[in-house]
Amino acid sequence: MKKKLIALLLAGTMVLSLAACGDSDDTQNNNPSDSVEDSQQPSGSDETPGDTTPADVATEGFSEAPMLADLVTAGSLPAVTDRLPVESDVFVDTTDAAGDPLEIGTYGGVINLPGAGGSWGLSRQVMESIIRYNIDGTYYPNVIKDYAHNDDYTVWTFYLREGMKWSDGEDFDADDITFWYYMCHLTNYDTKKSWACLKDGEETWANLEKVDAYTVTWTFTNPKFPADFIENGDFKWCWAPEHYLSDLIPDSIYVENPYWEKTGLDDETVLLNAQAKGIDAATVSDLGKAVAYYWWNEDGIPTLNSYVLTTKEGNNSRDAQLCILERNPYFWKVDAQGQQLPYCDEIHYNSTSEDGQDQLMLRSGEIDILGVAMQDIASILSDLGDQVQLRTFSSTNWGAYQITFNYTCKDANYAELFANSKFRQAISICVDREQVSGLLTEGFLEPGQCAPSEGNFGYDAEWEKKWTEYDVNGAKALLEECGLVMGSDGFYDFADGSDFVLTIYTYTDSGADAAYPVLEQYYNAVGIKCATKDIEVSAFDQEIDNNDWYAVLGPHTSIGGLSMKSRVQPFVPIAQSAEWYGDYGTYYGTNGEQGVEPTGDMAKLVEIYEKWNSTPDSAERDQYNLDIYNIHKENLWTIAYLKAEGEYILVNSKIHNYPEVLVSDDLYQYANIVHYWTLFKTE
Amino acid sequence: MEENAYKSELMTEASPKKPLLEAVGDFFKKDLVQYIVKRVLMFIPTLLLISVLVFFVIQLPPGDYVSAHIAALASEGEFVDADYAAQLRADYGLDLPVYEQYFKWVKDIIWTPTDSTYYRLYGSHHNWKYSFAYGRDVWDVVNDRLGLTILVTAIIMIFQYAVSLPIAVYASTHQYSVGDYISSIIGFLGAAIPNFILAIVLMYLSYKWTGNANVGLFSQEMLQNGVHLYNFGEFLKRMIIPIIVIGTSGTCGIIRSVRAQMLDEVAQQYTLTARAKGVPERTIVMKYCFRAAINPTVSGLGGVLSSLFSGSTVTAMVLNMQIQGPVLFKALQAQDMYLAGAIVMVQAVLVVVGILLSDIVLAFLDPRIRYSGGGR
Repeated sequence: MKKKLIALLLAGTMVLSLAACGDSDDTQNNNPSDSVEDSQQPSGSDETPGDTTPADVATEGFSEAPMLADLVTAGSLPAVTDRLPVESDVFVDTTDAAGDPLEIGTYGGVINLPGAGGSWGLSRQVMESIIRYNIDGTYYPNVIKDYAHNDDYTVWTFYLREGMKWSDGEDFDADDITFWYYMCHLTNYDTKKSWACLKDGEETWANLEKVDAYTVTWTFTNPKFPADFIENGDFKWCWAPEHYLSDLIPDSIYVENPYWEKTGLDDETVLLNAQAKGIDAATVSDLGKAVAYYWWNEDGIPTLNSYVLTTKEGNNSRDAQLCILERNPYFWKVDAQGQQLPYCDEIHYNSTSEDGQDQLMLRSGEIDILGVAMQDIASILSDLGDQVQLRTFSSTNWGAYQITFNYTCKDANYAELFANSKFRQAISICVDREQVSGLLTEGFLEPGQCAPSEGNFGYDAEWEKKWTEYDVNGAKALLEECGLVMGSDGFYDFADGSDFVLTIYTYTDSGADAAYPVLEQYYNAVGIKCATKDIEVSAFDQEIDNNDWYAVLGPHTSIGGLSMKSRVQPFVPIAQSAEWYGDYGTYYGTNGEQGVEPTGDMAKLVEIYEKWNSTPDSAERDQYNLDIYNIHKENLWTIAYLKAEGEYILVNSKIHNYPEVLVSDDLYQYANIVHYWTLFKTE
Repeated sequence: MEENAYKSELMTEASPKKPLLEAVGDFFKKDLVQYIVKRVLMFIPTLLLISVLVFFVIQLPPGDYVSAHIAALASEGEFVDADYAAQLRADYGLDLPVYEQYFKWVKDIIWTPTDSTYYRLYGSHHNWKYSFAYGRDVWDVVNDRLGLTILVTAIIMIFQYAVSLPIAVYASTHQYSVGDYISSIIGFLGAAIPNFILAIVLMYLSYKWTGNANVGLFSQEMLQNGVHLYNFGEFLKRMIIPIIVIGTSGTCGIIRSVRAQMLDEVAQQYTLTARAKGVPERTIVMKYCFRAAINPTVSGLGGVLSSLFSGSTVTAMVLNMQIQGPVLFKALQAQDMYLAGAIVMVQAVLVVVGILLSDIVLAFLDPRIRYSGGGR
């Protein structure tokens, strides 16, 4: 019964996913960048989904939350019109990420969530980025009012919203962008390395100019196409509150620039200044990361987000048992009736130390929104009935229960064997996927292959079924074609008589510890002797760096994903530390200084990627992306046994505007696509 | 010989009583001072040895904080390259040989000079270093939960002793009675059921019966406004599950050991003699038998100070109690070696001090221990 219920829910979700994501070609036309290809004009609000001018607003003027109105009456906060950007620059939010119209909400209440988790935890729900994506991959200007580029893509212009303010009421303008770029980013104060999207050649960077208080330009000597600039997943923000951070920038990191002079502060003074602001850092390096990179984790730092971290002692840290984000009184978005967003007063993160605890808190109404494992859904729904609604983030992963081999293995016998596609085919067809599904997922996940999921870009039914037919004899024949010889012990050896033992790494939290004993039975049955090495995930990273491994179950640096729009590394071997390309990635990651130079199809991936990177034409880029997919389909460097698992979210029924179907991906900043500032709660 | 001396001391009840204060003063005048000085001096090599063990054992797992941090970032969708990792290691001094890291760690803990940045920032001569995982000074992280840890552990310990000692005395003086059986059954159940299972079951029952799972010691309201008189009742309500979970398991051990000791003492010759001499039963039990029976319990008090500091890690996690234990767990998971090192070091110091204190109390309780010291 439980299985049937979940199967129905999954099927329903899949249909909705298809409906929402099916025709990416059409939705690409809404891409504002397309609309400005031939001009230096802003993309314009007509092409901007969800962004309408206040002229379209049904009611006149703007209204605000009662708690803010009280502060205005008391004289401690300016009137709402003075807090918002000028009328024509206010962002009017009318649709969710799936394009469905938003319900007009009511103010008040708290959204209770489980603990925020890691470094990015407090940013996910509230981050306001340069542009914002819809679930179909289209996007629109968000913090910036608009953007434009010249014909040859060498000059990009950002237009800011006039009158927009930081959460402390100070003006947000072009100075905050030049300050971020020249004082925080190019100095490597925020991260150790400036972002590639701002790179202009090998060692030079874009030239940022302030045109006026609300306009800046980024100038490159070479064309900078959208995918490598505004669409780049790293380029989430390009601002920092100059008025707050100016006494936290030491001279030791200063780099000559046309806008900002040295602050005259040494490292120790800056650390003392930070301490006075309640920011604890042992070194300026730590301080830079805290205030200019993971800035949402420090209370007091002004932001442009919908909610800001409270300054109240005890609740102002992501490590606190109860961490609180409060509404930003200067938030620059309103709903269709002119009500300033967000609707809810606060977001509470309730930190728990065990999974079961947050489920208990969901049941008792102390948590409103919670991700749960598919096995738990039925029991919670049967307990809570219509008090909660099930929402699904469809997965962009390429399958589940994956095995990957080291194609640059130091041992030549193994490297040659792994490189042989017949070996990978044998490994794939020697496993009965139906049985694996039953044993490992109670039948929740269907048999599949390492391929894009249905509804995602590049989905290919043939690919999804490739090498999935269970065939023990066929697998044995393939292994013999690879040159393996059956030994007297019933296991295959290499042709030179040396033992063939497939050492498979599993590591913490990968789920592989449960999968290995099941898969081992199948591998043994076709004559492959196995050994396992259970290892902590960070230690496995080192093994990859040292090129000292054979095979791994359950990758943490995944192959595949939404598409190359999101990230390139999961598809092309251009960086270090992903298991499916091993030392080939090191070769490109170190400009050929280390690693192994790829040949054949692995090299072809990089060739196509370079073409993809050098064209602004989105249709052409999609084609290159598909060409890369075809090479993956041909080679199947990673074998998956089951289809990917989605994310299942249970949402308190009192919460409104939580979209029906979503996609979880880094490009969309995961939970950010829910648009928490539009959620409201009714009794 | 020693035993006879002890028994004869016990049997000199007829002689005039020494006032307690005088007895304590007398006790400390003796060789005990010399004994304590010796023991304190032994602290130095002991703690140095422990510090070496702590620092190197924490570093035993493969990888370091940077590799754990990078893996955590990757799980959040942030990928960093080898150059970045190398720079982070250089920033944190993790690229130095382990022995150099150790000497620097110990040196800074013992004494950080006045003209250092650390002293100017934190006003302390003891630099326990920076917690990578929490992004704060180690001592600040430890201090954050110290008060609550001591409070919670103290309440639970008081509960344990207040409940278990009377039950043990009752059970031993009413051996094989209904009360003895009931206390034994409850005690065995408490000891046999793992704390984490009992905690989950109780939280689930709490949710089923009251609609509130009582996860954690504080309600949302308390976490925002603090614990005051008006919500202290709610706080105590939330203490019920931790007390039952941690209390029952600890209680069982004490009941069983004190009961067994008491049964031994009650059957001793000196008890029979005292009874024959007409000493009241209550005095025999409480003054002589009980005093002798709690020796093993007192000697176990050495770990109390350390427990007060760290609390019960696994149970605290299951009950979502924000005390020191889970911080240590997180520090070890993240390979945050300075934080983990500091907590383990403080625990070690407290164990050493605790053992000394328990030895002193034991010597006061049991004259034989003083005799074996050769002082008398």
